[in-house]
Amino acid sequence: MPAESGSVLLVGVGGQGVVLSSAVAADAARRSGFDVKQSEVHGMSQRGGVVSSHLRYGPLVHSPLIGAGEADAVVALEWNEGVRAIPALRPGGTLIVSLDRIPPPSAFVDRHGGAVAYPAVAPDTLRRTVPDVRAADATSVAAAAGNARAMNSVLLGILSPLLPFPAEAWDGAIAANVPRAALEANRAAFAAGRALRFPAAPAPGTGRPRRRAPAEPPSVGSVDIVDAWCKGEDCAICVRACPEYVLGFEPDARPVRAVRPDACTACMLCEILCPDFAITVRRAAVPAGPSLVAAETT
Amino acid sequence: MTAKALAAATGIDYREHLRLPMMPHILCPGCGHGIVLKALLRAIRSLDLDWDRLAFVAGIGCSSRLVGYIDGCTLHTTHGRALTFATGLKLARPDLTVVVITGDGDGLAIGGNHLIHAARRDVDLACLLLNNETYGMTGGQVAPTTVPGSVSTTTPRGATEPPFDACALVTAAGASFVARGATSLPLELDTLIAAAIAHRGFSFVEIESDCPEYFGRYNRLGRAPEMLQQQRRRFDEVDETLAAKRFVGAPPHAGVPRLRTGVLHERKT
Amino acid sequence: MSQLVQGNEACARAAIASGCRFFAGYPITPSSEIGESMARLLPDVGGVFVQMEDEIASLGAVLGASLGGARALTATSGPGFTLMQEHIGYAALAEIPCVVVDVMRGGPSTGLPTRPSQGDVMQARWGTHGDHPVVALAPYSSAEVFELTSRAFALSERLRVPALVLYDEVIGHLRERVDIADVPLARGERPRPSVGPAAYEAYAPGPDLVPPLADFGRGYRFHVTGLTHDERGKPTDDPAIVGALHRRLQEKVVRARDDVVSVATVALEDAEVAIVAYGVAARAAERAVSDARARGLRAGLFRPRTLWPFPDAELRGLASRVRALVVAEMNLGQLLLEVERVAAGRTHVEPCLRADGTPLTPEDIGTAIGEVIGAAV
Ligand code: SF4
Ligand code: SF4
Ligand code: SF4
Repeated sequence: MPAESGSVLLVGVGGQGVVLSSAVAADAARRSGFDVKQSEVHGMSQRGGVVSSHLRYGPLVHSPLIGAGEADAVVALEWNEGVRAIPALRPGGTLIVSLDRIPPPSAFVDRHGGAVAYPAVAPDTLRRTVPDVRAADATSVAAAAGNARAMNSVLLGILSPLLPFPAEAWDGAIAANVPRAALEANRAAFAAGRALRFPAAPAPGTGRPRRRAPAEPPSVGSVDIVDAWCKGEDCAICVRACPEYVLGFEPDARPVRAVRPDACTACMLCEILCPDFAITVRRAAVPAGPSLVAAETT
Repeated sequence: MTAKALAAATGIDYREHLRLPMMPHILCPGCGHGIVLKALLRAIRSLDLDWDRLAFVAGIGCSSRLVGYIDGCTLHTTHGRALTFATGLKLARPDLTVVVITGDGDGLAIGGNHLIHAARRDVDLACLLLNNETYGMTGGQVAPTTVPGSVSTTTPRGATEPPFDACALVTAAGASFVARGATSLPLELDTLIAAAIAHRGFSFVEIESDCPEYFGRYNRLGRAPEMLQQQRRRFDEVDETLAAKRFVGAPPHAGVPRLRTGVLHERKT
Repeated sequence: MSQLVQGNEACARAAIASGCRFFAGYPITPSSEIGESMARLLPDVGGVFVQMEDEIASLGAVLGASLGGARALTATSGPGFTLMQEHIGYAALAEIPCVVVDVMRGGPSTGLPTRPSQGDVMQARWGTHGDHPVVALAPYSSAEVFELTSRAFALSERLRVPALVLYDEVIGHLRERVDIADVPLARGERPRPSVGPAAYEAYAPGPDLVPPLADFGRGYRFHVTGLTHDERGKPTDDPAIVGALHRRLQEKVVRARDDVVSVATVALEDAEVAIVAYGVAARAAERAVSDARARGLRAGLFRPRTLWPFPDAELRGLASRVRALVVAEMNLGQLLLEVERVAAGRTHVEPCLRADGTPLTPEDIGTAIGEVIGAAV
């Protein structure tokens, strides 16, 4: 990341604290002597919709907006929003992403409709596109540090070593922006995030992770189907809703089957939308492969 | 909403709250009402209510059948009259939380008088009106909410009467909490239903649901997935001027102005 | 201590004394005083009064309250009674205790709102569609309104049936001396589950064929529906289950018949002619009997206090003893049909009917007695 200027895109869904995180980062930039511009884009945040915040700092910044392929880092408080924001990253940029998944309230989207399609990317395939992924189960890290709600500060902690802001600037910014009651929890979460260690990004041009996860990448979720309750192809809501094409029908049309079980990301869409209580999504433990998740804490 | 809703959505075992011997339910493949039942169970969970102090009252129609599958105190009454039973129950037993499930025909046609009076009395009930614009149980006749132009068995050349705006109706009648949700926005439903139940006074949530079996078939709207998509678009931020234009050959909802979801009216008491 | 009490007021007082703590109603002549009295009396005993938007809603609210555990009452008249039929059927099938008072006025339709009639006798029995059990009591004085209202509660609770109290406008508005302390209060409780919530089935009958009823919201979870259902309340159209359900619903009332059916008589021991009359017509009949006796005619009175189930057995014995039965009622012949059915040719049945908004008089009945005796002589 260039020392003299930079662009960070923060994304998430309403209620996660994107705006607050962005304010903290902007304040840290200001305290470090940079000019800074920041702009928020609320989608349908009142409905828990997408929120993004653009942040640019440097000696003199005119526009806060980050164009496609311009962000030095994307900080995503929600997994799928992170995946969706990848086009904003410049080549070699860093994706900092929480493994938290929050199905959009507009859970049913037109999967063939382009722009709002739910991203069909599983964790272990991500590195093929973005070499430097720093993904963490931020909520668990924050919970271990004292308060799960401070997960956004964990991600700021992960971001902090990448930016040329001194530790005092971060601490001052947190103290000035975070409500008093939540201050200590956020400080602790920030420190825990900052302490996470990720494997170095592969050299430019290699493109693929050197080490693939053992055998097939473990899936994040799996589905249980109550055969007798599923009403089959005449319904097919889950089949059409699943962003990962996990579900489908055998020629006998009923009940639904997991035809690509390994692709399930446990996004819950199928379960939430099945009118017949026929699908239950089981979340597997988050894959703890060293390629993705912080392995050690110092 | 998100963190709480997600916790409720991911942590719930719906089967704990269902009468398993009654399952699978009788609703058609892809019927939207089941999505509402799930949201209701999640909402109750998010409020952490005591199941021994809960009662569910419904009228007659596909939507009203939902209560029979809930493992609780459930009362499946007569056509249009759910609110009258619920009013008596609540007045006699103020300690109970009473949830009413009704449909557009049940709640707005045959039960329309009870609806406006329940709203006027502002009795502490949470009324969910599942609007699928048709009488599903009887085979797809025109309903008080059917959008003009829609085909039904009793409007084979297209409905001509203007529909009710249920939310505006109950607001005018005095309801102290009025909201609109949709099965295509299922997590928002949790929040709205939970808020309706938590609200003291008469709370009303109109929920757009889909009847693929009749309304969808007669109006060539596809099956459940397509109907959900179209329904979703009705709630999208669309260009109002475009939306106001009707064009030939369009499905019935093409020219209908965008509907607003969320809490539309709230008066704290 | 005796007081002057109006029939409608006696009804309300009896309800309160019988533990009724919920009233929902809609104003209608000539029954409005019942609701007005309840509105006055209920708050003092911690009860709830609500005026609903119509009679359908009123009985709906009563049934909801009853499921919550309250003894509940509604009162109406002709057109309102017609609207209530929907929920009388619901109460019969779902077996929810409730008491409905119908103060009869001239009909059909708006008819004669302020005038007495006995035109709802058959509607009380068959007003709602389908076979169903019903209990209907017919008081003829203020004191009896008190007594039979209390009895209606007891029977309704005990048998889980809708219990109807039918009297006419004259009885409703009549003020007469009642010594309320002397009127016996009937006792009858709804059967309660003897098993815990897990084993409870809301429609599994006890030995008297009445299923125990838990209250909503007290730990028991169950389904109540107006669809035909099995013992757990699950809707079904299985002919075996549906058939058994219908038979049980009838049979539970038949088994309790001796407690339900009540008849008062006057001078029947040696009677040649028996008048069959109820409500205000029975008051005229009592006078007609004493007038006839004064003229040396051996007349008597058979006065059903229970209209439904009809006192078949009691009347059958009488029919084989008397020369004639004079059915005096204020309609064009409703209970008459039952009397003819039971008499079945054993004796002559003479109608003495009036449907003009005025009560039958002793003279009307006396004339009928004279005719049958003259004809027989
Ligand atoms: S199967 Fe269900 S939980 Fe898994 S990815 Fe598809 S929709 Fe999401
Ligand atoms: S949504 Fe449910 S009922 Fe419909 S096809 Fe999928 S599993 Fe079956
Ligand atoms: S008829 Fe329509 S509303 Fe009724 S269950 Fe079928 S799809 Fe649902």
